[in-house]
Amino acid sequence: MNATRHIDQEDLALFAMQLLSSEEASVVSTHLEGCPDCQRALAEVQGDLAIYAHTVDLHSPPAFTRERLMKQVAREKKTIPIDQAPAQESRNQVVQENIGAEPGGRGFGSSSYLTEDEPPRRSLAARVLPWIGWAVAAGLAVGAGDLYREREVLRSNLTAQAGQLDRLTADAAAARQVMDTLTDTTAKRVTLSKEPVPPVPQGKATYVPEKGALLFVASNLEPLQPDKVYELWLIPSNGLSPIPAGTFRPDERGNASVILPQLPKGVDAKAFGVTVENEGGSQSPTLPIVLSGLST
Amino acid sequence: MYRETGLVNAPPPSAQDDSALLALVQRGDEPAMAALFDRYSKVVYSVALRVLRDPASAEDVLQEVFMQIWRNPSSFVATRGSLGGWLAVVSRNRSIDALRRKRPTESVDNIALASNYNLADEAERNNMMEKARQVIHLLPIEQRKTLEMAFFDGLTHSEIAEMTGDPLGTVKTRVRSALTTLRKAFTA
Repeated sequence: MNATRHIDQEDLALFAMQLLSSEEASVVSTHLEGCPDCQRALAEVQGDLAIYAHTVDLHSPPAFTRERLMKQVAREKKTIPIDQAPAQESRNQVVQENIGAEPGGRGFGSSSYLTEDEPPRRSLAARVLPWIGWAVAAGLAVGAGDLYREREVLRSNLTAQAGQLDRLTADAAAARQVMDTLTDTTAKRVTLSKEPVPPVPQGKATYVPEKGALLFVASNLEPLQPDKVYELWLIPSNGLSPIPAGTFRPDERGNASVILPQLPKGVDAKAFGVTVENEGGSQSPTLPIVLSGLST
Repeated sequence: MYRETGLVNAPPPSAQDDSALLALVQRGDEPAMAALFDRYSKVVYSVALRVLRDPASAEDVLQEVFMQIWRNPSSFVATRGSLGGWLAVVSRNRSIDALRRKRPTESVDNIALASNYNLADEAERNNMMEKARQVIHLLPIEQRKTLEMAFFDGLTHSEIAEMTGDPLGTVKTRVRSALTTLRKAFTA
């Protein structure tokens, strides 16, 4: 398959089914643009595929799908194009009336500006005015056509965006549910292990560097003095100083969480650590590190 | 509606050919749209269901394909062959896009399609379907499975080769041979 030779049937079939890689498909597309023979051959392959598609076992769609479609169709009602000629005529009439017969006789076509000894000017106006009317009407018709097309494009965009909005809303609802579960103080937090072991402080961090999004959940933390807090640190992989990622206090059962602290985006993490700091937190970690974990 | 569009004596939508219905759809005629849906929804839905294997997703594709007809009936022009064939192929392509979770390809509907069949006629459509099923049934099993995997499952020739253990060239040849047999049966 190349740009100079015809596309063989095997590749045309794969192209028609969109099964070629983007590079291969691009080569075929380029060739097709200038090759009526291959366009014809592709149309025949598409015809074969259309027949093959009809070998599928037939199932009737649920009855409500028809209603759903017709509701959507009704919502996106079309403006039926009006016959241009009568519309232009009536528009011209209105335009001419507006131009030529303004109240009080102050318009351009009004005879109050003309005297009986100025017949040439009057006849010139009489000749020109109808053409101005037609020109305005034609302009309006073209403008209306443009507006109609623009409206169709906007409507199409609106529908696509409405669909996107629905998906985003669903995603947001799912994300909120995750957040609620993680931060719910009544949630039971259980760590499963092979054998019963004495509870040890443990933290779990989930971090997406590109978004700077961090979720941290800790359990079995030791209680702190009233003027102390735990502070979470992100240790960058580029060797720079640890970045503070939020302070937290455990509840009476030793559980705590840090949800989406303010972090710069795009920082790759080598590890995470937790230290004990004075109330209000610190800009640099104070040893010892009570919890730490390498990023994998 | 028909009085509004000046088609008082027009035949009922169900008896009209596809191009007449599309012309009415172009003018915003909702019964014409319903007639097209009644005529082709079964095929469009069945193809989508076969690809996606999920009724809810197939319903979405069905809605999307017919709304495209409503919004832009000129996306199908008569020179592109039969509307029924075009809808079946578009339904398959849209479903594969949904399967791959990718945005609909702009060029996906830009399909010219050679077809000698009047799929608007139910009897002719049924005959064609029956004949196509027979031809496919008589294909060697390898050809049948390969074409099925490519068309309905959207697997690339590399993926099929990997799954079946067959060489890439063999996979391509099987697809072509199956389609050639189908075409010969319909041009004989």
